[in-house]
Amino acid sequence: MSAEDTSGQTAGPLRIATVVVVLMAALFPLYWMFVTSLTPSAALFSVPPRVVPDLTQWSVYAEAFFEIPVRVWLINSAIVAGGTTVLSLGLAIFPAYALSRFRFAGKGPFALGLFATQMLPEAMLVVPLYAIFGQLHLLNTLVGLILANTAFAVPVITWILKGAIDGVPTEIEEAARVDGCSRITIVLSIVLPLVAPSLAAAAVIAFFHGWNEYVFAQTLISDDKLRTASVGLAGFVGELSTPVHSVMAVGIIYTLPAVIFYLFVQRFIVAGMIAGSVKG
Amino acid sequence: MASLTLKGVTKTFGSFTAIRDVNLDVADGEFLVLLGPSGCGKSTLLRMLAGLETVTTGEIHVDAKRVDDLPPSARDMAFVFQSYALYPHMTVRRNITFPLIMRQFRWWFHVPVLGYFAKRRIERSPEVRDLVESTAHTLALTKMLDRLPKTLSGGQRQRVALGRAMVRKPQVFLMDEPLSNLDAKLRTAMRAELISLHRNVGGTFVYVTHDQVEAMTMGTRIALMRDGVVQQFATARDIYSSPINTYVARFIGTPPMNLLEAQADGPTRLRIGQTILDLPAPLHGLATGAVTLGIRPTALSITDTSHPATLTGAVALVEHIGAESLIALKLDGARNAHDDLDGPRDQIMITVPGYSELRSGDRVSLSLDMNEAVLFSADTGKRLI
Repeated sequence: MSAEDTSGQTAGPLRIATVVVVLMAALFPLYWMFVTSLTPSAALFSVPPRVVPDLTQWSVYAEAFFEIPVRVWLINSAIVAGGTTVLSLGLAIFPAYALSRFRFAGKGPFALGLFATQMLPEAMLVVPLYAIFGQLHLLNTLVGLILANTAFAVPVITWILKGAIDGVPTEIEEAARVDGCSRITIVLSIVLPLVAPSLAAAAVIAFFHGWNEYVFAQTLISDDKLRTASVGLAGFVGELSTPVHSVMAVGIIYTLPAVIFYLFVQRFIVAGMIAGSVKG
Repeated sequence: MASLTLKGVTKTFGSFTAIRDVNLDVADGEFLVLLGPSGCGKSTLLRMLAGLETVTTGEIHVDAKRVDDLPPSARDMAFVFQSYALYPHMTVRRNITFPLIMRQFRWWFHVPVLGYFAKRRIERSPEVRDLVESTAHTLALTKMLDRLPKTLSGGQRQRVALGRAMVRKPQVFLMDEPLSNLDAKLRTAMRAELISLHRNVGGTFVYVTHDQVEAMTMGTRIALMRDGVVQQFATARDIYSSPINTYVARFIGTPPMNLLEAQADGPTRLRIGQTILDLPAPLHGLATGAVTLGIRPTALSITDTSHPATLTGAVALVEHIGAESLIALKLDGARNAHDDLDGPRDQIMITVPGYSELRSGDRVSLSLDMNEAVLFSADTGKRLI
């Protein structure tokens, strides 16, 4: 409904100026990365700095792909982020539904307890997690990394989905019960399609969490072949020299899949899924 | 098609009793209306019939089969919600087809692509498609079958909800105030549609409403409820002409029945204030001591003041509503026995045909058609028979 309210407003010059300023602030670092990646090493620290990319320097991207194992890192990151997304959503849907719809003993503490996991810094949990994963033979596996990331993503996603499910009128579920749906069919066929926007938002959160995560990836993975892009990228910053333009090139490459994932998913983040069901 | 029997049905929420010992026998094909004010438990009772609320004690039978411990889907009842409760992400066609899909549902329908095709196959099978399209035709929804509920008007959504109930060909239709969200004109039209639906489709209908006009026009029988207790279970005509207690008398009818404090004056006469009235033969011997006389506003008429042995009073208010006029009359030396409002204790309502030329302050006499009068106990409010 709010989308309709704002659509009628005309875009005044002040509005446009504000949008432009905010966009520039957001996009400038990306642009700077891009310019730097295409700047020859010798010109990196020139004063004044270059603001126009040197388009003869494309070879730096080819180097990144063929001389540095960027492809492997990206694939590993994609597996971790994708796995975290799927597993987190799968694990969060049912507790979110239970928190929204059922009354049970210990519901309040359970719901709050989910937040407790968010209060501890990852760095503090690395050591115990390392010990546990060691015993379970999950060290040096992407599965282990997915599990660790999922543990952090599930509570947040559970709360997001709970809030969305709260907004689904219970009459719709009752209608489905009368029509012959089991509880699980109600959740999968009726409730989930209606919370699709929140599901998409939750997927974005889980994916980015898995994609960007550094501490666990650094600690739990030691095999070069299983290294994720976040760790790989950080590994560039050497003690003696840092190939700035390469770092920036890889940084750009690292950013792109996440942006593409977001653009793909954001189509589903639309309002008004529940409109038309019950009398407003 | 089925009969419906409720035996001693009770529902408690903690220490609060929402439904108290309801016993109803609804014959096959009947249109039962559960009528009552907000919070009287009528919706709760309907939800118990549907299986959406549990029954604390008592039994519900459909024909000879006990259903109160069955899940909603196993009771073969369809439910039409006040809020329509359509599936917003499905087209009108899929909304109506949905109960039929659920009949053939297998667990693997949850598998994303597989389920999509399986559901589509059921939807496109000739028998399902024909049934859905003929239902849509009956409800004038044919042109909207491929639209989403959000693009429909309130009346159209309500018809989709009806269609979803009809395709199942259930034994019992349950409807929870299905017309209350529609505007007055549409409500009248839909009321007629529901009556003809009941006639054409058959089946037993249980219909919840707080609107006495809906109840009187639609129901073959009405169960009037108050505070979780069925006050009277009878035909509309009986409820109107022979209310079982003063509550029913005041609930039905616009304006409601007038109740007057009276004293028995021998077995055949009644005294109201200083006026002595003769009782008709059926009421002879019923009254002893203090009683309440119930008389509909339509059974009262205005006569001139010279007429002896009648109630007299002054006009307090005249309301013209077209075909008739409503007159509030301030009585001399008589008190009403209304317990349901804080209005003046000496006023009663009279309905007179046409446009009344009376003005407030005019002195008039009343003539009472005692053949339409009923007597209630002054203590218990129950009708004296």
